[in-house]
Amino acid sequence: MSKVKWAGLILGLIGFCLPLFVSFPGLSLAGHFAMSIFLLAAVFWMFETIPIYSTSILVILAEVILLSSQGFIDYSSTSYSPLSYTEFLSTLADPIIILFLGGFILADASVKYDFDKSMTRYLLRPFGSRTSMMMLGLMLVTGFLSAFMSNTATTAMMITVILPIVAKMDPGDPARIGMALSVPFAANIGGMATPIGTPPNAVVIAALNQQGMEVEFSSWMIYAAPLAIVMLLIAWQILIRLYPPAMEAISLNLEGKLKTSPGALILYATFAVTVLLWVTESLHGIKSAIVALLPVAVLTLTSTFQKEDIRKLPWEVLWLIAGGISLGIAMKETGLAEWMVGAISWDQFGYLALLAVFATVALTMSNFLSNTVTASLLIPLAITLVTSGILQGTAGMMMIGLVIALGSSFAMILPISTPPNAIAVSTGMLKTKNMITAGLIIGLIGLGFILLLSMIYWPYLI
Amino acid sequence: METKIYILVVEDEPEVLDAIVRDISTFESHFVIEMADTAEEAREIIQSIFDDGNEVGLILCDHVLPGDNGVELLVEMQHDPQTESTQKVLITGQAGLDETVRAVNEADLKHYIAKPWEKEKLVEIVKDQLTEYVLEHVSNPMQFMAVLDGERIAEQIRKGKSVTDN
Repeated sequence: MSKVKWAGLILGLIGFCLPLFVSFPGLSLAGHFAMSIFLLAAVFWMFETIPIYSTSILVILAEVILLSSQGFIDYSSTSYSPLSYTEFLSTLADPIIILFLGGFILADASVKYDFDKSMTRYLLRPFGSRTSMMMLGLMLVTGFLSAFMSNTATTAMMITVILPIVAKMDPGDPARIGMALSVPFAANIGGMATPIGTPPNAVVIAALNQQGMEVEFSSWMIYAAPLAIVMLLIAWQILIRLYPPAMEAISLNLEGKLKTSPGALILYATFAVTVLLWVTESLHGIKSAIVALLPVAVLTLTSTFQKEDIRKLPWEVLWLIAGGISLGIAMKETGLAEWMVGAISWDQFGYLALLAVFATVALTMSNFLSNTVTASLLIPLAITLVTSGILQGTAGMMMIGLVIALGSSFAMILPISTPPNAIAVSTGMLKTKNMITAGLIIGLIGLGFILLLSMIYWPYLI
Repeated sequence: METKIYILVVEDEPEVLDAIVRDISTFESHFVIEMADTAEEAREIIQSIFDDGNEVGLILCDHVLPGDNGVELLVEMQHDPQTESTQKVLITGQAGLDETVRAVNEADLKHYIAKPWEKEKLVEIVKDQLTEYVLEHVSNPMQFMAVLDGERIAEQIRKGKSVTDN
């Protein structure tokens, strides 16, 4: 075990024990236990002492033991009425988890039948062979795919597309760096556009649902997709200015046929119908999590997606999301979130300043931490601000949720910021300092746009 | 400490040994190249690599050696669980058909390089074999993208084998 992990282990255990021995005025007994769990999770997530998904499961286990009515602590003489253990366990099958399951199955089936590659070839054709236009094409296609597939898988697929292009470039051509950055950046940005684009969106939407606030698939897209599109264009401009292509044009082989096996055809149809139903949720009112069962059912009952494929799904990502959701429940139910928020006199902040604080903290944290972890740690506090009246009602709640989810997706300074960034740096085409420069500019512009939207766009829609 | 992956070159003629090592020096950024001039010495080196908690990813082995010959060494490695997964390549001018067949059948020989070799070809083979090895045996092959076959490694990530969103 590395020194960092050891430090995390020790700090995590100290954090866990602290509330057991120190009494914080104004915090209930249950709140103390919730704080133990919160500190342990936060430290383990930050230091990655154990894999982040197993910290999530540990959170759920600790909550069942310490905070549920079936647990070991007797709360009969306190004001906290313990939740049933099923409340914590059922986060593993939360509607948002089912929505992601549907998304995962569509994405993995697409990989299985090379639908992602076929779509890429087809969608890239109109962009021609001018280097700068091709880069725009790569970014828009990457962004589009990563709105529905995992950012990581989309990046990996696109890397297989750009490696042959880059191989034809002169080793000193700055566009090599630009191109290697364009893919992960576009994947990070594309993930913002839909609820299933990236896990932080799930954590935020689940927390809003807990407050009785339904977030439709289509409304999320109306809030976030315009930002994603504008930022893709801005990121493209930044990259071609920072790394102007030396070669005017590049040839790219886009030959290849769409698979037409029965399985592939079933997949295309299911994909089209599911996405159509998702984006039109506001018209027909069928919840996106219910629609998500459609690909799960159709693709498995037709054997398009088989047992071995099911086993290969990224289940640990679902655990990670569930851990975040259940931590939020514990913090809210025990009064911990309210107590933590109460420590700062937020009413001195203006409404915009408050959003700016959360956006900045989310952006900063998730440059170093997993985006999902960032959202999991911040959203319970943010929600509490709304319920305690500092932010106003539904619109306030939705906006602070958006600010946290989108802010954490704009973190792309370092290789460790997101897996797509790590892949890009691993190709050896760029140095970390290239990523820091471009990532910092895009992150700051993104932050500015989030705040702009919360003044001139979101308030009129929510 | 991170596990190091070794490339072992076994060759009794010093000039040839040097030439091979020089040709594959591009891999030194991510792998350790170790040399032996007999099968006997190779065994000792392999043992010490494993004793230090490291692994042998690839062996490039001459056939004609003083003492035990190259094919014997490769067959023996194939039967040892520690080195069974090592990618085995024979680089020789003089292995007869029978011995070569034996190396294919009993040592799972991955490639036969006839001397004299071309540098590009050798580098290509080493790259392929090491890619094969890291995809099979390393939990996070991403770190080798720059020096090995980046497209194959990216393809594996696309299929969700080592990295996912977090």
